[in-house]
Amino acid sequence: MATDTDTGTASAEGFGEVSRVRGIIFEYLSLGASVLGIFALAVLLVYVTIDAFDLTNASPEWLLTYFLTLVVPFLAFCLYSANDRELTRRAAGVLGGGLVAVAVVFTAIEAFVTQIPRLSWQLAYLFVVVFPLTGYVTYVGSSGRVGGVGFGLVGRLIGGTAIGLALAVLFLVFDARLWFLAYTLGIVPALASYAYGRFRERPGASTAAVPVGIVGVLVAVFLRPVIDTYPTTAFIYLWTLAIPIAAAGALVVGARGSRTEAIAAGGVPLALATVVGLFGGILGLGVGGPNALLVIAVAGVPTAVYLQRVFDAGDGVIGLGLPVLLVVGALVGALVVEAFGFPAPDPWIDGSFITEAPSRTPADAGLYPAIVGSVIIIAMVAVLSFLLGVGTSVFLEEYTANSGIVGALTRLLQINIANLAAIPSVVYGLLGLGLFANLLGLGYGTAVTVSLTLSLLILPITIISAQEAIRSVPDDLRRGSDAMGATRWQTTKNVVLPEAFPGILTGTILALGRAIGETAPLIMVGAATTVFSAPNSLFDKYSAMPMQIYAWAGFPQADFRYGVVAAGVITLLIILVGMNGTAILLRNRAERGT
Amino acid sequence: MSNTESSDSLITTDVETGSDEHAVAPDRTAVAARDLNVYYGDEQAIDDVSMEIPENRVTALIGPSGCGKSTFLRCINRMNDMIDICRVEGDVEFGGKNVYDADVDPVALRRKIGMVFQKPNPFPKSIRDNVAYGLKIQGFDGDVDARVKESLKGAALWDEVKDQLDSSGLELSGGQQQRLCIARAIAPDPEVILMDEPTSALDPVAASKIEDLIDDLAEEYTVIIVTHNMQQAARISDRTAVFLTGGRLVEYDDTTKIFEDPEEQRVEDYITGKFG
Ligand SMILES: Nc1ncnc2c1ncn2[C@@H]1O[C@H](COP(=O)(O)OP(=O)(O)O)[C@@H](O)[C@H]1O
Ligand SMILES: [Mg+2]
Repeated sequence: MATDTDTGTASAEGFGEVSRVRGIIFEYLSLGASVLGIFALAVLLVYVTIDAFDLTNASPEWLLTYFLTLVVPFLAFCLYSANDRELTRRAAGVLGGGLVAVAVVFTAIEAFVTQIPRLSWQLAYLFVVVFPLTGYVTYVGSSGRVGGVGFGLVGRLIGGTAIGLALAVLFLVFDARLWFLAYTLGIVPALASYAYGRFRERPGASTAAVPVGIVGVLVAVFLRPVIDTYPTTAFIYLWTLAIPIAAAGALVVGARGSRTEAIAAGGVPLALATVVGLFGGILGLGVGGPNALLVIAVAGVPTAVYLQRVFDAGDGVIGLGLPVLLVVGALVGALVVEAFGFPAPDPWIDGSFITEAPSRTPADAGLYPAIVGSVIIIAMVAVLSFLLGVGTSVFLEEYTANSGIVGALTRLLQINIANLAAIPSVVYGLLGLGLFANLLGLGYGTAVTVSLTLSLLILPITIISAQEAIRSVPDDLRRGSDAMGATRWQTTKNVVLPEAFPGILTGTILALGRAIGETAPLIMVGAATTVFSAPNSLFDKYSAMPMQIYAWAGFPQADFRYGVVAAGVITLLIILVGMNGTAILLRNRAERGT
Repeated sequence: MSNTESSDSLITTDVETGSDEHAVAPDRTAVAARDLNVYYGDEQAIDDVSMEIPENRVTALIGPSGCGKSTFLRCINRMNDMIDICRVEGDVEFGGKNVYDADVDPVALRRKIGMVFQKPNPFPKSIRDNVAYGLKIQGFDGDVDARVKESLKGAALWDEVKDQLDSSGLELSGGQQQRLCIARAIAPDPEVILMDEPTSALDPVAASKIEDLIDDLAEEYTVIIVTHNMQQAARISDRTAVFLTGGRLVEYDDTTKIFEDPEEQRVEDYITGKFG
């Protein structure tokens, strides 16, 4: 805040006055500028949403139906959770008053000022009143016990499903059979050795875990081409992912609950996953196969663990009804719309948009290969930039001296990193093209080239934010650890990194958000704008969501430029928000943990 | 994980027995400084200090701010190594071995010397993990829980925290945090405990608890404590060293002697509050 200190002349009667005009002007100018910026963004998002969901063609009856079956029950749930009479009254007031106000203002503008394109007053009401109110009420409601339980459950279901799907996508290119061997020969023996050492008080066995694991993985790599019969993918997922996740869930529950609860928390989702995954096809359940197994296990186990905790605490159990409320609401809405034949919108973004390949006709266009490309690229970028970023920042902050030649070199490096963050992404694209694609021969537009390039692009940001996080760890703690006779590495690992972790995570996520939306460097390294089938190796030609969206924006048909592009943008945003949301949750949890 | 960095190679303690310079102190010497000079850049912080600190006694270092008490303390466990511009000349003997010899590993040295700081600095971990920290980094493979209990008892904290060992050390009050830091320092069973104004950030009640504790600690450990508080030095210490500006050790004797009948006028002035 800027405050001025121009003192007026003190008169005999009082203390005089101090002029604050400049401060006030500054305050309102900044406020105005930010409001304008946010408003512009909001308008853009509104139109993108309208296009993506084809809301212009939504009849008022259709809107009203879903408003009553979905929005109102959801609001009621949140208000019940917030348990605040005043809030309920105000929310009702805003819903009712807003309806009248928007209708009047909207009609007046249309009548006297100008036609508002592709908006009806009902839609305007939705965007101006209902969505913001729902957001606010959700926020308030989620801090209540009932709401917290409900959102916790929904979050685990959706988040688990997303992670399960992302894993399935990763297995499109990463060799499941190699993973099977590495897990069986490396990870299982290493874990067993570690656990044996821990529980039988044999430190030797714990220390042996890492070498045992490494040897096992190497043997796996060696054996992969030698062995030629493998279990099915579903069985591999079951053995390498579903069972360990269920076991971990059971351990978590076992630590605080009874033995039966532990077995149930791990066993029920595991059994469900196995039945649906292995026999779903045979039993005619409509779903089945390895991916179903994966999703059910990854979403089911945390959900079961969560349910046990909620029932154990016995507080806000009714909140568990939230997913039911939403599903029933959607079904009832669909039934009513069907029964009365209300004209419904035909959204561009729907199941087939997510699961199908691009096409020449707008109605058939899908984003699937680009989503797969983006997920794989982002996963690789996340791992690479996290490891490199943390490594470099730890080295710079904890290991290099501040004075002498080393100190001077460090400062030079530091300045360079700061400058690298400011280099345009096209230049990084050029670097990726020259270094990774040409010189190292990793191929044009392959996942490896693209991931390395993007990692390099965000590396400065990751490093700088990780450094910031590490620097904010109080020196007291380092001294305390040093004085106990900890080596530099022990201090870093046991004290500095755990404290800095939430900050490092935040920085990395922000940087990843930037990487996921980049197009320029992708174009430079030769990524495809459109690929028609999902890649099945890291060295295939890749596309990514922003590339595909960019391509669609240049198509001659208006349906592509409006509907399909909007659907792509919404998909990209949902994935981005989901990623950031998960990261924020993780970070909050880490912060609470310490 | 830390077996490779084990500490048992450093030095043995029982080497040197009392010196004839101090007839009143027939104890064995735990730590001795010989012609110690310390500089920060060009500025001298310790000026030619020689003193012998007896084993299993409480030795207080007093003197006005900036006279080099903390610097002296940090020489003993070589925490000064962390300060780039700090330069140490002369010897600091710990159990008869100069800790500044080339073959001494400062990390191994610090495992034999505990340190408690002015501001309580528990790690943002559980109480148990705080106390077990030294054991963990030293690869201790005995009964950790028993050691944790014993140390917390030694720091007069066990009764207050025995039901919340898994809650964060940061949730304790300031005085409890400081006692937690003491428990952390004694858990690996060091020989010497250095304390740099351990009560100056605490309220009087918490401070007096720590004072009582220090008395008990001296039965097992050599305690070297820096304090600003004259009464505290008089109450808890057996020996007192008075530093005055410029990092000079002006007088070092039995505490009763220093407080009742100091040799030096400057010391008397300082103790009676005429300056400092
Ligand atoms: N890290 C440091 N860098 C530079 N000078 C220091 C540092 N620590 C202490 N000094 C200087 O050394 C002198 C002694 O300081 P210190 O040992 O902290 O005194 P005391 O603990 O008796 O108050 C002071 O003049 C102080 O300015
Ligand atoms: Mg000091």
